[in-house]
Amino acid sequence: MTRLPRPARTSLALGAALCTLAGAAACSSSASSGEGGDGGPAGAYTWWDPYPQHDDSSGWAQRVAKCGTEAGVTIERTAYDTTALTNQALLAAQEGTSPDIILLDNPAVSTLAETGMLTTMEEFGLDTSGIDENLLAAGVLDDQAYGIPIGANTLALYYNQQVLDEAGVDPASVTDWDSLTAALEQVTGAGHKGITFAAIGTEEGSFQFLPWFWGAGADLRDLSSADAVEALELWSGWLESGYAPNSVINNSQNTTWEEFLTGDFGFALNGTWQVNSAAEAGFPTGVLPVPAQDGGAAPAPTGGEFITAPVQDDTARYEVTKKIVECMTTPEGMVETATTFAYYIPPTADGQQQLLADSPDLRPWVDAVRVARGRTSDNLGTDYPKISEALWTAVQKALSGAADPADALAEAQAAAEDEIG
Amino acid sequence: MPVTTTSAPRLRKPGGAEAGLPASAPRPPARVRVRSTQWAALGFLAPLIVYLLACYAYPLYRNIDLSLHDYTVRSFVQGGADFAGLENYRDVLTDDGFLPALRNTFLFTFVSIAAQYAIGLALAVFFRNNFRLSAVLRGMFLVPWLLPLIVSGSTWAWMLNSDNGIVNTVLESFGAGRINWLTDPGWALVSVIIANIWLGVPFNLVILYSGLQNIPEELYEAAALDGANAWQQFWRITFPLLRPVSGITLLLGLVYTLKVVDVIWIMTTGGPGGASTTLAVWSYREAFGTGLPDFSPAAAIGNLLLLIALAFGFLYLHLQRRQERT
Amino acid sequence: MTALTQPVRRRHRARWKTVLGIALTAAMLFPVYWMVNVSLTRTEDMRSDPPHWFPWNPTLEGYANVLDDQLPAMTTSLGIGVGCVALTLLVSAPAAFALAKLRPWGAGPLTFVLLVVQMIPGVVMAIGFYAVYVRLGWLNTVWGLILADSTIAVPFGVLVLTAFMTGVPGELLQAARIDGAGRWRTFVSVVLPLSRNALLTVSLFTFLWAWSDFIFASTLSRNADAVPVTLGIYAYIGNNTTQWNSIMATAVVASVPAAVLLVVAQRYVAGGVVAGAVKD
Repeated sequence: MTRLPRPARTSLALGAALCTLAGAAACSSSASSGEGGDGGPAGAYTWWDPYPQHDDSSGWAQRVAKCGTEAGVTIERTAYDTTALTNQALLAAQEGTSPDIILLDNPAVSTLAETGMLTTMEEFGLDTSGIDENLLAAGVLDDQAYGIPIGANTLALYYNQQVLDEAGVDPASVTDWDSLTAALEQVTGAGHKGITFAAIGTEEGSFQFLPWFWGAGADLRDLSSADAVEALELWSGWLESGYAPNSVINNSQNTTWEEFLTGDFGFALNGTWQVNSAAEAGFPTGVLPVPAQDGGAAPAPTGGEFITAPVQDDTARYEVTKKIVECMTTPEGMVETATTFAYYIPPTADGQQQLLADSPDLRPWVDAVRVARGRTSDNLGTDYPKISEALWTAVQKALSGAADPADALAEAQAAAEDEIG
Repeated sequence: MPVTTTSAPRLRKPGGAEAGLPASAPRPPARVRVRSTQWAALGFLAPLIVYLLACYAYPLYRNIDLSLHDYTVRSFVQGGADFAGLENYRDVLTDDGFLPALRNTFLFTFVSIAAQYAIGLALAVFFRNNFRLSAVLRGMFLVPWLLPLIVSGSTWAWMLNSDNGIVNTVLESFGAGRINWLTDPGWALVSVIIANIWLGVPFNLVILYSGLQNIPEELYEAAALDGANAWQQFWRITFPLLRPVSGITLLLGLVYTLKVVDVIWIMTTGGPGGASTTLAVWSYREAFGTGLPDFSPAAAIGNLLLLIALAFGFLYLHLQRRQERT
Repeated sequence: MTALTQPVRRRHRARWKTVLGIALTAAMLFPVYWMVNVSLTRTEDMRSDPPHWFPWNPTLEGYANVLDDQLPAMTTSLGIGVGCVALTLLVSAPAAFALAKLRPWGAGPLTFVLLVVQMIPGVVMAIGFYAVYVRLGWLNTVWGLILADSTIAVPFGVLVLTAFMTGVPGELLQAARIDGAGRWRTFVSVVLPLSRNALLTVSLFTFLWAWSDFIFASTLSRNADAVPVTLGIYAYIGNNTTQWNSIMATAVVASVPAAVLLVVAQRYVAGGVVAGAVKD
């Protein structure tokens, strides 16, 4: 314990104190007084995305860098995990230090658009008419598009061919809820496990429940409808009959997939992002669209990120930003993104055609994405997160036996109405 | 005696070791001595005071500010949130989820710290006797603290999984039935408490062990000569002399346990359907658990927790003063 | 202790204690074992039912990833931990001495403030620091993280050190005073050495908190210059996929140097320091 470092530390703390007080004052007066960017060198454009799994040497990082080079700038890319990204974006916007480009998970687009921190694509003069309407809808608030999807994914039923063969189930026979439940009965009767899905108490739980909810004809504005109750009874019935394990209540989609990979399960509800992993599994797999209650494919929710451009003080930056956005959203660019990630379906008809030409086995996924539905569509916007929270809570209560499906959903509807006001 | 010394709340309790010895400040040259002591004390406290102002003033102000306004995501970014007075607090207190969350908070906190303290103290007494490997083993007990919570929380969730968890496998091999640890509303809270106790034991062990080190060996030797057995020695020497350290350990344990979010969030996200939601988890969910950050109620819940902690802080000071008087 | 039978009985008892100690430690560390187990398990075996007690078909993929990616992050974490310990001790030890021995005015309110500030949610603290650091240009610096992380430990340090320092016998301070030592001398050469256990305890926890902090790191530091291990782990948590074996492997590898540090530090907690001083 020497005396020496003490004055240094004290002045440091003092500096922070003064700045803290200054900060408090500055914060309440004006929102956009920052210097723009995280102090990067001039000519550098900042880029945030939710792909920390792709490091600087990855194909994705190189693709981002290339778009910068083509626009004549260097891009400084920072990756956050999905939840941290939204929070960080809010913080940066508050301090007026937003990056030039953020790739946002689609339900977050309307939330951030609501804050006024995102520019519209119209301001940028970007044409969004070529984008599939169902995919663009998640980024539309009051008829304005606040971003462009760089790719989309959705949910479908993966099945384990080996397990189905042993149980004598023909996957083609699964066309509606009854035939699916019958198939699960056969699979469990043959000593295997039926189906696994994710009903965790987060957005993922709602995400996975929606294909069934919509497949019954229910509407997010009315959580307690008879259709909604039937969808929830389908799930809780599976748990009671032992067709699905009790642990699904706490499963994330990722856990669900790990369970499927053990080879014990007949079916698993999961997304486009597992295509590669399914191909490498130790058993043959296949994909079915999630069946609607009375047959046909149920609309599944869309997943995937939007490229968005936050508002900047220095609007001169927009010109380059526009070039970068364009580079990411040309049909070739979309296909490149799709193959870089190995799980994104391009959101334009052109892009989809090109992708199918390269990899025809993605056909079921392209079909699924075409009928998929945005969670924040129909102008639900920032009401969606509140409805979703009520919905996943109801799902958890029903599956864990804390309430029966009808009561749980009635409670959820009341809670959602209360929140939305 | 000047008013100053008697009115100053004392944060000290003479340990039994020096019981009967004169107090540290000599009395005779009272006024002068006291004043210079006060200046010296201020000098020693100055870095702390500067530090507290620098690091906490703004966040504390911000938390209160958030809870008194109706912040939407828009006003969070753009400013100009409506003043809501105590509206957020009223909403929280009248919410259907409030009473269950309060009950869960108290169960979680008190069961956790009681068990952590009891186990920590037992282990500290056990490790007090130096035996072969005791130092190494004591060090090993801290290893759980080295793991990021995302890892230890996930590991517990893994072990307690209803279908493929190791705990149920063991239970079944003993012929007991499967327990849906994380997915049964009756067990979810128990599960997160178990994991939290595990996390808290090293903290209690280390602090209490250090406290034991400061109890003079002579006292035990004297007691042994008087024929006191280990049990009597514990209750007559260890426990009373450990009181200041025990007090602060329990108080800190309370503060840390009240605000636990990560473990619960990682293991159950407060579910199923709110069965393991404590106030802290609820606050976190409002702010970050949904797609739409709702900072105002989150801050209000946070401030309620702060009040609970303060109430126990009062209790702590009160007990301490009463003890000082006796 | 001169009785002939005593040492024999003692040794016997001590062995019994070592066995019990190992058993207790093993029970305590079982979840850690489980983590190691998972770190070596292939993804397709992770959720097998019943679970494997031992990774029969081990994969070292996780460890390969970690050694490639995480070494700089571990160095950063170590630096932050050590810096945080130094800062925390510098602020809290003198303050604790004052609170414990000098009976300052306002000690009670100060204790309350110390309690209150610990209840400020970490996220709000992080938001506050962010606002300040953006203006100072301290984002993505090790220094910035050290200061932020120390806020978890300083109130703790003051409260714990105060509790311990009240136990330092008053007559020792008086003796020092009679020898002509000023308060600073008394503090440095009498109180601090006597508080070695407590200082070490506070250091341990400060280090551990800084080591395992996630909230500050994720808000204040994202560029490669100052990424600690807790953040490095998030490279394995994609938005739809999680590489568990890499995550667990990171945790295992990262805890090794810190564990060595802990075991070594624990050995230095010598018994009966105060008692010895009183006797002399």
